[in-house]
Amino acid sequence: MKKIVFALLALTIVFACKDDNETDTVEAGTINLEFANTIDNNPIVLNSTSYTNQSNESYTIAELKYIISNIVFIKENGDEFTYPVADSYFLINEEVPASKQFELGSIDAGVYTKIRFGFGVDQSNYPLNGVANFIPTAEEQGMLWSWSAGYKFLKFEGSYTPQGGTASDFILHIGSHGETLDNYKEITLDLISPINVNGNTSTINVNADVAKIFDSTNTHSLEDKSDIQVDPENAPKIATNVQTMFEIQ
Amino acid sequence: MKYFVSIGIFICFFTSCSSDKGEYIPIDQNPKLEFEIPSNFPDLDYDLSSNPPTEKGFELGKKLFYDGRLASDGVVSCGFCHIQDFAFTHHTHIVSHGVDGALGTRNAQPLHNLAFMKEFTWDGAAMHLDLQPIIPITAEVEMNETFSSIIKKIEEEPEYVQLFELAFENKEINSENILRALSQFMIMMVSANTKYDKIERNEGAVFTEQEAAGFELFKSKCASCHAGTLFTDQSYRNNGLPIDPQYNDIGRKRVTGLESDIYKFKVPTLRNIELTFPYMHDGRLKTLQDVLDHYSDGMVDSETLDPTFKNSDNTIKGIPMSQEEKEQIIAFLKTLTDDDFLNDNRFSEF
Repeated sequence: MKKIVFALLALTIVFACKDDNETDTVEAGTINLEFANTIDNNPIVLNSTSYTNQSNESYTIAELKYIISNIVFIKENGDEFTYPVADSYFLINEEVPASKQFELGSIDAGVYTKIRFGFGVDQSNYPLNGVANFIPTAEEQGMLWSWSAGYKFLKFEGSYTPQGGTASDFILHIGSHGETLDNYKEITLDLISPINVNGNTSTINVNADVAKIFDSTNTHSLEDKSDIQVDPENAPKIATNVQTMFEIQ
Repeated sequence: MKYFVSIGIFICFFTSCSSDKGEYIPIDQNPKLEFEIPSNFPDLDYDLSSNPPTEKGFELGKKLFYDGRLASDGVVSCGFCHIQDFAFTHHTHIVSHGVDGALGTRNAQPLHNLAFMKEFTWDGAAMHLDLQPIIPITAEVEMNETFSSIIKKIEEEPEYVQLFELAFENKEINSENILRALSQFMIMMVSANTKYDKIERNEGAVFTEQEAAGFELFKSKCASCHAGTLFTDQSYRNNGLPIDPQYNDIGRKRVTGLESDIYKFKVPTLRNIELTFPYMHDGRLKTLQDVLDHYSDGMVDSETLDPTFKNSDNTIKGIPMSQEEKEQIIAFLKTLTDDDFLNDNRFSEF
């Protein structure tokens, strides 16, 4: 009898820890996300190129940084693969090409048709679930409001000139403050064609139409307000615009 | 039959090995610390299950709290401005002091019963206890340090490396674990053994006649804001302090951006208030007598002055009190001093 027990025990151990995938041919894979920041379908050029917004203000961009987070891949039937939250915070800095592409490994096998990601940092995850480990990166990149211990989701700075006016600086620092001002946004995009993850590496190109920061759901004139930091009126409008600026290419 | 049952149990046990990932594995060398909510206290705001205080986590948090390595000059630790003898405030210092003699703009707040509080700092900028230390650590006029640099300094100390290994399952020296350890230390700082508590819990203590009179006055004149056992309703209010042009501190508006929050500050707890002088967000008032004089006669009006302090015709009412009443209230406030907490070796630097 004892022998049977041990034999059964040994069997259960072997089976319980065996990789279930062994009998199938599907394997986890890698997805590269590549972001491009453009205006009129051309990559933006910092400092030297001048753009015009719908309020007829010309502007140059000195700095563009934003936080992308909480990446989820969605299958046709609605099933989701959530990339590990603690590792899914990325800082996109226009000035640093390497920051605009990142590799997401160990994605469960399957056919994905949509991607969802966050703009900024979800308050319910901060400081929990490892999100506090993004602090050193954010700090080095000037994306931490040290006085409030919060992240800047968007840092967009440059110079603007209203029609017939003189040039001055604009500063947009958008984030969440306290419980009253939550500017975290989620973006869900359809992939152009389904991605089949099966031991391979795929690439998703995300285009950010930077002009939409000023002109999209809301139209923002810099002459009206060129310094938006802790601003319960204008910051949510900018965040809503940012939510619309991404598209798959 | 018994055999089948035990086989069944074994199977359940072993087949579960694939889902172990998120489960808490107790580490023998690191027992959990008991946290008991005092019977007269409200529920905790801090979710202890997200960061259960342990012996080693607490020890690590305490070491970090008293370590100047968290500051750019290697000197100004958390404990530099938060001194236990004065309920973890910066005794007699009007505003906090930082590296290279820098001066802050606000008075260091006492540290106790933090696990019961919803938001932190005078304007509520930190929404979670784990986030609060980021503010003083990175503020130029306080500790003026970065997390990357702190992590580097700590990694060079074998004692720290070992403590992080023992305190946290993932053994990592990172910003999350630094903040969690500090929280574990601060969570355990419960001050609940004052004369007032012993009376509230029917443990045999009694107020003197003056204290009893003061308590009655306190209930009618102060407790609408300094409410409950924590002596704060955790709201933000403008209590009519004249604006100090040196700082022009806009208070809660800095966090919300709302004009309606200008000059509002968090209603502070009054526990250990006898020792946490000077008072107010900028430490402008030296004594409790000064504070009560402000409430009876010193308020100035502004857009956001709390309605509590106004008459129906919009003139300032303040809190009318006679000198005798003030003395009674002060006598009561002194029953909120917790000698056990102030002398508790668990929290002491040495």
